[in-house]
Amino acid sequence: MQRISVTARLNRSTLQFEEAAYARLESYFAEAARTLAGNPDQAEILADLEQAVADQCTKRMQTEQGTVTLAELQPALEEIGSVQVPGAAGAADHPARDAMRPLQQVSEGAMISGVCQGLARYFGLDVTLLRVIAVLLLFVTGGGMILVYLILMLLLPYAPAEPGGKPIRKIPARSRAFVGFVRSKLSTVTN
Amino acid sequence: MSTESKLAPIRKGLLEFLVLKIVGGQSVYVPDILRRLAGTEFATQEGTLYPLLSKLRREDLVQYEWQESDAGPPRKYYRLTDTGKAQLAALDEYWNRINRTISDIGH
Repeated sequence: MQRISVTARLNRSTLQFEEAAYARLESYFAEAARTLAGNPDQAEILADLEQAVADQCTKRMQTEQGTVTLAELQPALEEIGSVQVPGAAGAADHPARDAMRPLQQVSEGAMISGVCQGLARYFGLDVTLLRVIAVLLLFVTGGGMILVYLILMLLLPYAPAEPGGKPIRKIPARSRAFVGFVRSKLSTVTN
Repeated sequence: MSTESKLAPIRKGLLEFLVLKIVGGQSVYVPDILRRLAGTEFATQEGTLYPLLSKLRREDLVQYEWQESDAGPPRKYYRLTDTGKAQLAALDEYWNRINRTISDIGH
């Protein structure tokens, strides 16, 4: 059994999203909410952006009553761009901030969930090298590596999407939806 | 430091001024503003514009009203408040002054 699509209410519009597209949408708005944390107009700006996303998706959708795919959502989000707070300097203006980069997983361009990309970014190593090491460890540990990967995947926060970054492939989008599901289950259990 | 990295903050600072100018012309909604800026050095995106407009509204420089549209949901049309008009005039004046200074100096 598999969920095919999710119906989402975006401000004044209601649209159907493919599972992977919905996961991407969730991460876009989670990041936007983080960027706007503490902003007195956070709710209003998010509502404006929801409407912008809905309008963009409607414009791009192939069929009238169809489902928004990840391939349709991605260019829509790129046109809208990530949320920039006026007056605050962007990350690109402060190369020094890279020195304090947190350990995160990077969904954009990931193979599975982005753990290797995150580790590569954290340690300043080539991601291919990290992936080769991960595969070697998989054999050396007789599969124990899978457990380590799963734990990191569930624990590491997601790096915010970068403007003009690579798209999220299907598997990382699914894994992200899965992690979101597990985290929400865990939080209901602990509450 | 590259030239671009010095120019980017200038553009960023001037975007607010340009948005005030566009909103000052006539009442506009966000796609109008994006279109006016597209193709210029100040081309921007909704992700930047909505937070900026919210800030301007909080500073009582712009206000918006809902207007029905032929297609889709009602739209927010922005226009300048009296404070906004005064600030735009002051910014315009200041901009002309520094422009003159920049072209006069060094000659």
